[in-house]
Amino acid sequence: MHCDRVQVQIRDVGLGRSRKIVIEKQENLMKRTGFVYDERYLLHDTGIYHPESPERLKTIFKWLEDSGMLSQLTRIEATKANQRWIETVHNIHYIMRFDEACISGLNEFEHPDNGICRDSYDTAFLAVGGVLKAIDAVMKGEIDNAFCAVRPPGHHAEADKPMGFCYFNNVAIGARYLQKEYGIERVGIIDFDVHHGNGTQHIFDRDPSVFYYSIHEHPSFAYPGTGREFEAGLGEGEGYTVNSPVLPGRGDDEYKRLIMQDLVPAFKKFNPEFILLSAGFDAHESDMMSGTNLSTEGYDFISEVIMNLVNRCSGGRVVSVLEGGYNLDILPLLVENHIRFLADLK
Amino acid sequence: MFVSERMAKNLITAGPDMTIFEAKTIMAEKGFRHLPIVDSAGKLIGIVSDRDIRAAMPSTLLKKADYEITLAKIMNFPVEDIMTKDPLTIYAYYTIQDTLLVMQKKKVGALPVIDQEGYLKGLLSVRDLLRSFVSVLNIDEPGCLLCIVVNAKEKTGQMKKIVDIITEERIALGSILVARAWDNNKRAIFPYLLTNNIINVKKKLIANGFELIDPMQWYLDHQQPQKAE
Repeated sequence: MHCDRVQVQIRDVGLGRSRKIVIEKQENLMKRTGFVYDERYLLHDTGIYHPESPERLKTIFKWLEDSGMLSQLTRIEATKANQRWIETVHNIHYIMRFDEACISGLNEFEHPDNGICRDSYDTAFLAVGGVLKAIDAVMKGEIDNAFCAVRPPGHHAEADKPMGFCYFNNVAIGARYLQKEYGIERVGIIDFDVHHGNGTQHIFDRDPSVFYYSIHEHPSFAYPGTGREFEAGLGEGEGYTVNSPVLPGRGDDEYKRLIMQDLVPAFKKFNPEFILLSAGFDAHESDMMSGTNLSTEGYDFISEVIMNLVNRCSGGRVVSVLEGGYNLDILPLLVENHIRFLADLK
Repeated sequence: MFVSERMAKNLITAGPDMTIFEAKTIMAEKGFRHLPIVDSAGKLIGIVSDRDIRAAMPSTLLKKADYEITLAKIMNFPVEDIMTKDPLTIYAYYTIQDTLLVMQKKKVGALPVIDQEGYLKGLLSVRDLLRSFVSVLNIDEPGCLLCIVVNAKEKTGQMKKIVDIITEERIALGSILVARAWDNNKRAIFPYLLTNNIINVKKKLIANGFELIDPMQWYLDHQQPQKAE
């Protein structure tokens, strides 16, 4: 599990005819990968039979613990985000409506998909907070990158409404935080959850400083029905959104083709200074939330290509945030594999 | 579902003696393609489309001077001379389905809506019709399309079973489309569900013996050239 990677450097220390070759062993090259997780994320109760359940995080955490992966990660503590960061994306009336819905003890918020309980509002603040803390740690150089095992997920949440199990758009808020707190100019978001991140796309539709890429099941057959190829950004943001829809039944071949054709050249050109990932694991063949058939190796391919882009463009800086993934038998393995790529252990 | 809800009201109309120049200008300025022509009482007597206007223009092959002279002559003609007299119309109590059939069979792009006495009430264009159908199909709402195959021999009661499953899972139904002729002796049902949460519905459908269609696989299967029977 813990692999020793040794890099050798050959220095030419002589001049002229006699040359001495020195071989030096460098320190282990595993990256310092942070891990955000908090037991309080389990308090967000979506109701029985709801696929976005606390069990998802429980099984991920237990798996990482049992496999020994957890001990190789730098644990990052989550604290509730300051509301002003949430307000960079969501309008204040929406935030207040969410608060009221939870306080009133409702068990869904504006749509049966959005199951809530009294703790959901605070948990959502904590999810955003976890992402911001991960960003802080990367920007301060304490870690190289991070994975945030949070709930509730975020990429369907719009500025003024919840959708698809999402309440606050964790990744979008992270992007704004990077820009306003750290002066980062170009943020790249890669969303490989099988559902199009309508919230994230719409938030940055007109913004050329944040590039949104999504690969997802074709909107004609899958929620949320957005993310067609011709949706490429609006006004000044035109050209800074790219969508790769995948028909149901398709898998690795199609994913590989689209990633190489649509994502890689676009990101190389945009050259983001920091990359955020909306990491959903529901495109897997055994996840019944979607009709796509991506294999475990297919997911590895995506993680590998992303890390190449990260190393090339953003100097290794990436924060990956959990979105979907609902098959408890396969989710933890996919998360561990993804983390291995972040940590450069693959 | 009804024309009266979907038609454009507050229309710009013209009298029969408005000049072609005025008609062309106002259609360009306001960005519409069909101008109803009414008499002084408001009864519909004709309709002018942007194509009628274009057909009346001089040929662009003429030399500039000739073009401009001819254009000046034409522009003063009344729209009465180029309009379609007694156009096809529909009533406000018609359904959008009626309108769809009329437009398909009669190949028109817009239908003026009149009342029993012939007074103009509104206009329903192809674009309005597209918007109406997107709305009643609810495909502008976020959701998932299910594709279910049903054996036509056992078709009785199948729709009820499917809808029962959807109802049990407390999922809102946007629309259901039915293909009565699908492959051989089959029917296909396409419910559009207004939810992200389709895992349980799919599992139940499969457990109840329904077959779900894989769109890409269906397309590939139908690519094979048919062998002669």
